Amino acid sequence: MSGSDGVAGSADLRRGSTAAPGGARASAAGGLGRVIGYLARRPGLAFGLGIVIVLAAGAVLAPVLAPFPGDAGNNTNLMASLLPPGGVHPLGTDLAGRDVWSRILFGIRISVGVSVVVIVSSLLVGIPIGLFAGAVGGKLDDLLMRVVDVFLAFPSLLLALAISATLGPSMEHAAIAITVSWWPWYARLMRGEAAAIRGRAYVEAALLLGIPRWRVALRHILPNAIGPIIVQASLDLGGVILTFAALSFLGLGAQDPTPEWGLMVEQGRTLTSTQPWVALFPGAAIMTAALAFTLLGEGLRERLDPKGLARS
Amino acid sequence: MRRILVRRGLQSLVVALGVGLLAFVITRLLPGDAAATWAGPRASADELAQVRVQLGLDRPLWDQAVRYIADLVTGNWGTSIHTRQPVLSDVSGRFMTSLELVTFALVIAALIGIPLGVLAARWKGRPPDWIAGISASLLASVPIFWLGLLLQLLIATELHWLPVAGRWDRTLNAAAVAATRTHMVLVDSLLAGNLTLFVSGFSHLLMPAIVIAAYPIGLFARLTRAGLLETLGEEHIRMARATGYTERAIIWRFALRPSMGPVLSALALVFGFSLGNTFLVENLFNFQGLGSYAVDSIAALDAPAIAGTTILVALAYLAANLAVDLIRPVMDPRLREAGR
Amino acid sequence: MTHLQHSRTSGLRLGVLACVAVLVFAACGGSTSTTAPAASAAASEAASQAPSQAASPAASAAATNQTFTYASHTQVVTDLDPATSYSNEVIAMHDVYESLTYYDAVTKKVMPALATSWTSSPDGKTWTFTLRTGVTFHTGRVMDAAAAKAAIERTKTINQGAGYIWGAVDNIVAKDPQTLVFTLSYAAPLDLIASANYAAYIYDTQAAGAPATGTGASDAALVAWFKTGKDAGTGPYTIASWKPGDEFELTLNKYDGYWGGWQGSHYTQVVFRVVPEVTTAAQLAQSGDVSYVDRLTPQLITSLKSDPDLQIVETPSFQNLVALLNTASGPLKDPNVRKAVAKAFDVNGIVSALGGSVVAAKGVIPPGLIGYSDSLTGTGLDLAGAASLLAASGYGPNGKPLTITTTIVSGDTDLQLVTTSLKSNLAKLNINLDIQALQWQAQWGEAKSSDVTKRQDVFLMYWWPDYADPFSWFISLFHSESTPNFNLAYYSNPKLDAEIDGIQALEATNRDAADAEYVTMQQQLIDDAVVVVPYVQNYQRVLQASVGGFVDNPAYAQVVFAYDLTPGP
Repeated sequence: MSGSDGVAGSADLRRGSTAAPGGARASAAGGLGRVIGYLARRPGLAFGLGIVIVLAAGAVLAPVLAPFPGDAGNNTNLMASLLPPGGVHPLGTDLAGRDVWSRILFGIRISVGVSVVVIVSSLLVGIPIGLFAGAVGGKLDDLLMRVVDVFLAFPSLLLALAISATLGPSMEHAAIAITVSWWPWYARLMRGEAAAIRGRAYVEAALLLGIPRWRVALRHILPNAIGPIIVQASLDLGGVILTFAALSFLGLGAQDPTPEWGLMVEQGRTLTSTQPWVALFPGAAIMTAALAFTLLGEGLRERLDPKGLARS
Repeated sequence: MRRILVRRGLQSLVVALGVGLLAFVITRLLPGDAAATWAGPRASADELAQVRVQLGLDRPLWDQAVRYIADLVTGNWGTSIHTRQPVLSDVSGRFMTSLELVTFALVIAALIGIPLGVLAARWKGRPPDWIAGISASLLASVPIFWLGLLLQLLIATELHWLPVAGRWDRTLNAAAVAATRTHMVLVDSLLAGNLTLFVSGFSHLLMPAIVIAAYPIGLFARLTRAGLLETLGEEHIRMARATGYTERAIIWRFALRPSMGPVLSALALVFGFSLGNTFLVENLFNFQGLGSYAVDSIAALDAPAIAGTTILVALAYLAANLAVDLIRPVMDPRLREAGR
Repeated sequence: MTHLQHSRTSGLRLGVLACVAVLVFAACGGSTSTTAPAASAAASEAASQAPSQAASPAASAAATNQTFTYASHTQVVTDLDPATSYSNEVIAMHDVYESLTYYDAVTKKVMPALATSWTSSPDGKTWTFTLRTGVTFHTGRVMDAAAAKAAIERTKTINQGAGYIWGAVDNIVAKDPQTLVFTLSYAAPLDLIASANYAAYIYDTQAAGAPATGTGASDAALVAWFKTGKDAGTGPYTIASWKPGDEFELTLNKYDGYWGGWQGSHYTQVVFRVVPEVTTAAQLAQSGDVSYVDRLTPQLITSLKSDPDLQIVETPSFQNLVALLNTASGPLKDPNVRKAVAKAFDVNGIVSALGGSVVAAKGVIPPGLIGYSDSLTGTGLDLAGAASLLAASGYGPNGKPLTITTTIVSGDTDLQLVTTSLKSNLAKLNINLDIQALQWQAQWGEAKSSDVTKRQDVFLMYWWPDYADPFSWFISLFHSESTPNFNLAYYSNPKLDAEIDGIQALEATNRDAADAEYVTMQQQLIDDAVVVVPYVQNYQRVLQASVGGFVDNPAYAQVVFAYDLTPGP
């Protein structure tokens, strides 16, 4: 990210207020202090980061922290079916008598892990395609967007069913199906933003100065267009986990006894009015994780969007 | 303009047909016997063979695909295997129901989400921003049947403020059926001059629409905030400030419209998505919409029904996207030049 | 400037046009739907409801009281043709159509319906029915022996759905307008068969004009006639309107010419309302918007028991869960392994977790049918015994590990519980159970595949009879088949086959001997570990407390005979 290419003004805007050359070579203690200071000024980001760290710790330490680790695997305890929260089961038990808290802990790896992979994969596919289409315009743009439309219009449930029917229902296959259905959203949003920015003065200026198109796309269009995409992606973690839940409704995706949060929510669906804890706590876990990643994503957006930085 | 419309319109038609055909072919390729749905779970092998011939399932796949396209073009969308009704009548009625519900929901989402985003941008970094941000995130990730069921239990069963389920009160069923023209209760009741039905339809739409609006509210709020912040940093805003306009005027008169681009794109995407994916809400509130029909069709490997649903939803998606692509230059003058 | 203005307004206009185009297209498609029944049905429905709507609130409350609303969790009607109807619409068909006899599950006897009495020859091959007088079809024609003969013959000729039940009938003669004589090619309990849940209706084959026989143009006319939502039955109610896909899908109005008469207090209208979610159905019951809900979760039932406005009626059904163990291929071909797996079913735990919605099963035949015996206790959970059986074949906790597959239909939480529990028990025996939850078509297709390696080791499904006879289990599930259909344990036992082939004749001539024979056959299946039956479904119905006279008849699953009910005050 050097300042030698492109218009000088945009380079400044990109690096923003933390661009003092000496900052990167400051002492370690000073560096840590600055990180803490940075976080202190952004309590949302700090909160989100905190939860993510807790989640990561939970994922790693689940075998140690869970009171009934076997319940996340093959264990059933039919005599302890549907116990309310309290005592030895802090969050109650489900229909098969398994401890909800233990299953939520083990579910972090599965639900959060796979969902993050799905979103990142979708971004990696969608952003380049959308950027290319938006930056280039014309017939190629049209063609690419029609391809995107085909994917968008194709019913994701049918796709998931097709993949599961041929390969067998499992979480991995559901993840593939969801990724294939998810990337077009990002492509479309990216293309819209890229097309809008393409017409801006500084982009025209850069082109007039003879800078190659691909460089213009990467250095000038991408950073300015990516804001809304990151916003959307950060909100999507909860959405992806819930899509797994919707697939579980049809019997696709993770299968019992996998402690996948979406599956747990679906299993508790008909019990919501009589034994609410079965669906409530996995649902709360989904919302907590989603909130954390949203706040994290919001913080990332600020770093990537020069205009936002300039105003903080 | 017109050339763009015609070109995009034709492209959309081709895309929709292509997607529908793809869905048809994929469904026929899946393991499992659609004839068994028609004949019932206890059918003998002979009956199944008979039904397979009747439904044309014994012909080679390309033959079935060609016949399907030919039928489509002449207006015969086939017969649904799991309802035994013509697919076109099945799908079009349900499409209108879903259309009404989703449009209602998106209006609510826009009316709540956009101001929420404006609030967050206006008071960036302060409590209203955090509250708006956290609410947006929670709304976007709450399990939808949860929200629906909790609202239903609280507002309908405990407080009796709104009805539990259905599209209209059961005592008005005869009137509703008699008034049916567009399958949209709000429109039909007004056309028939039946105000009681209108009010009943409206009150029955509220809860499912609010539930469907949850995710878009969060999304619109965040996108509005992000877009607004970006616009507010630009030159023309500084000029407006220098000229002495109030912050309020600056936001609502100058900054909001150009920031709406991403919100509009998202609106089109959410619209298309919601038409086919709100089956949990439809089931919960007894709305005979496209989502539950799609799920039932998929469960039954009902190829004509799946293809028909897909085509219709695809057309709606594409129309919405087209509309957004045409409206964006209206909102943001910067997009009007450069042959966008 | 003008160019921009022009493009802005035309752009908007065209965008709006695009949206309108989609709407118009969809609306046009909608108007080509079943307009014929819509017009006539709306008219008749409006006519029947107009008086109640125009009347004062008190009168309309009374009119509403006489409507019985049945909350169904799936679409009601698939096929309205009484000859081929074999699906959920049966819940309405029995209010509209009647048969020669009906089965009373309480007394376990076949009772008169359209036939007032009958006799059979000693060899069970000739049956003579005396028909009721004064019965008319909803089409206006009189129901007599000729009409009944025509209906049964048409059903038999078409031979779809449950038409096979008339397979024993060789010849039907209408000796006189009140007498019907059946000659059978082999002995069978025809009075019981005539009381079947499906395919036994007596209907007017001349409803569409020329007499329909099951083939040809006249039959096509009748088939099309039924498709428009009309009925040709003799029952107390007749179809007033049918709106496929609507929430209030089917409405039945009382038939004034019903032979039973309308003295006393009866429901005058039956409405079928589609409510897919159990939680919504429970709330509609609490708010008084529906009269009857056929199934809720046992937990919801428990929570509603304390509601004074509702009554819960529990009745054991004729439906049970069968786990068919693969006797022909795979690891379970070894009887030791098979018997060990049979001992891994924690029946008591499953029944306890599923609450009041199931009862533990004894043998293969549910209670209420001939051949049921509570001495046929299964093996129950016995992991120690299973381990020693496995050890004899080299498997088990100290032996080689094993992987077996089971298939269930997806979306059923009860089945998930059964298989999850089985999985955890088998894990203790060093057996890994691979659970595949599939769509029914896929599950059945896999089981029938000609490649034996593709077949499952344990096949789980529900089973229930088409008429109140255990024969259904044996002929469908345990009789050997050249190509698998429902015998998905792939069991082939010539001795059992011979017993099955002769049991119906025995039922017709010597019921007690048949009863004992059924018990023997079940014991054989248990000894061979061909099947494990964990539980029998227990019906738990929710009704408004004001509904009187409701008796659940398991022979007519999910059917409510609305005419027999007494509406509350």
